[in-house]
Amino acid sequence: MKKYIVMECHLSYAVVLDEDGRFLKVANRHYEVGQTVTDVIEMQIPQSIPKKKKTKRWAYSLAAVAATLVMMITIVFQLGQMTYASIYMSINPAVRIDVNRNDVVVGLNGVNSDGNDLIEGYNYKKKDLELVVDELLDMAIEKGYLYEGCKITLVLDAENNEWIVTRSDALSKQLDDYLSEKITVIIEITDKKSNDQIIIPINPNDSDYDDSDYGDSDYGDSDYDDSDYGDSDYQSSDYDDSDYQSSDYDDSDYQSSDYDDSDYQPSDYDDSDYASDSGITDYGF
Amino acid sequence: MQKEHKIIMSVYEAKDDLQKADELIRDYIPFIRSEASKCISRFCTEQDDEFSIAMIAFHEAILGYEHNRGAFLPYAAMLIRNRIIDFQRKEVRHQSNISLNEEIGDSDQTLMDKIADERDYIQESANLEATKQEIEELSAVMAEFGVSFSDVADNSPKQQRTIEACTSAIRYAIENKHLLNKMLKTKKLPLAKLVAGSKVERKTLERHRKYILVMLLIHSNGYEIIRGHLRHALNTKGGMSV
Repeated sequence: MKKYIVMECHLSYAVVLDEDGRFLKVANRHYEVGQTVTDVIEMQIPQSIPKKKKTKRWAYSLAAVAATLVMMITIVFQLGQMTYASIYMSINPAVRIDVNRNDVVVGLNGVNSDGNDLIEGYNYKKKDLELVVDELLDMAIEKGYLYEGCKITLVLDAENNEWIVTRSDALSKQLDDYLSEKITVIIEITDKKSNDQIIIPINPNDSDYDDSDYGDSDYGDSDYDDSDYGDSDYQSSDYDDSDYQSSDYDDSDYQSSDYDDSDYQPSDYDDSDYASDSGITDYGF
Repeated sequence: MQKEHKIIMSVYEAKDDLQKADELIRDYIPFIRSEASKCISRFCTEQDDEFSIAMIAFHEAILGYEHNRGAFLPYAAMLIRNRIIDFQRKEVRHQSNISLNEEIGDSDQTLMDKIADERDYIQESANLEATKQEIEELSAVMAEFGVSFSDVADNSPKQQRTIEACTSAIRYAIENKHLLNKMLKTKKLPLAKLVAGSKVERKTLERHRKYILVMLLIHSNGYEIIRGHLRHALNTKGGMSV
């Protein structure tokens, strides 16, 4: 056990010397100078609160504000750069013009090789849609893509239908005004969605017709053509042969009681679920 | 509010001034005792260990108090409570030890009586007296240098490495007696020569100047008892260096 010599006594503490030559302030448990003691309670001065903490907390909030700012700026910038709508312009060279919410061009791509050739070296950054279209037409004329009697097709693609409506009017008018001074061309403006909708009924041979529109209902090809159950079949072959015919049908009751109360109920027959299981089983009876 | 302000003023004054710290503590002895009593849930007398601990805890509170720690008295009360709880936990660990007051056999004699009887009272009190005298002498010499034991305690190296660094400087001085004599004459520690001789960093020695001074004084002449107490430490150091 460590030994300490009491060197000095005070009201609240005593100074002791340990065997390693350390002077310590310890609790004065009624010590006397010169006394040798063994079990001491050393004084521990509480650590001062580091002031760094305060600045740190400050820095945290600053960092949070900075991060938020960066995020906000990024979002705003992203929104500005985000493609809101696209315009496909095809003369022969086809190009796609992407615009943002404010009709400022944010992207310009050639759709075919002529399109790439047309826009080569052209700087669209921060230009309005109308200006870009005008300049592209000028360039097309210069490069010989656009000449008298040419057809320009503009396809508008956007989520917002209102935008399409207003832009198609404005663009056609603007192109008219702009080109009428130079050459005469045919301008056709459509939008992607209405194209889809319009084309389907006009071209009945389109695969879409058979696949989806018709096949959806239970009147699908196979069911419809099913020999066992078809309208026509009922009246001709099936009706006459098969089990059904056996007893009840040949009877005179056919038109009255038996026909109705047998499983071959009229309701089932008229039902759109004609081809369903129940009908077939019923028939089997 | 006004009163609290006054306490804080005196606490800040007591931080550096031992006299004022003593006064402040003396003024607040009733407070200290009441806090200690609360902790041990019985009346606390000045003879209790808990009272001594509460006193040193209050002193710690004075030294450790800062403005941002809130009001002083609740802070001091908290420190007193913590220290007493710490002490009680430590005591619980020793509870398996039998009490000195336990009775042995049928007689009324307690264990303490028996042990005490075996000790040599006269020899012990003589030793105590001699030690006390030595310490008083040393203290008087230290006063000439303007150093008290409390200062030394504040200056004392705590880390083993620092102690070794200081010891090597001290040893160098002891080996060169003229340094010691010069120091006693001029009442100044020859720090530059110690640095040159012991190759310890000047900053280290400077920080523990008072400690080195006292150790050199102890080794200058006399103080056999204190040196005997220390001998163990210095001898091993000496043995290691040789």
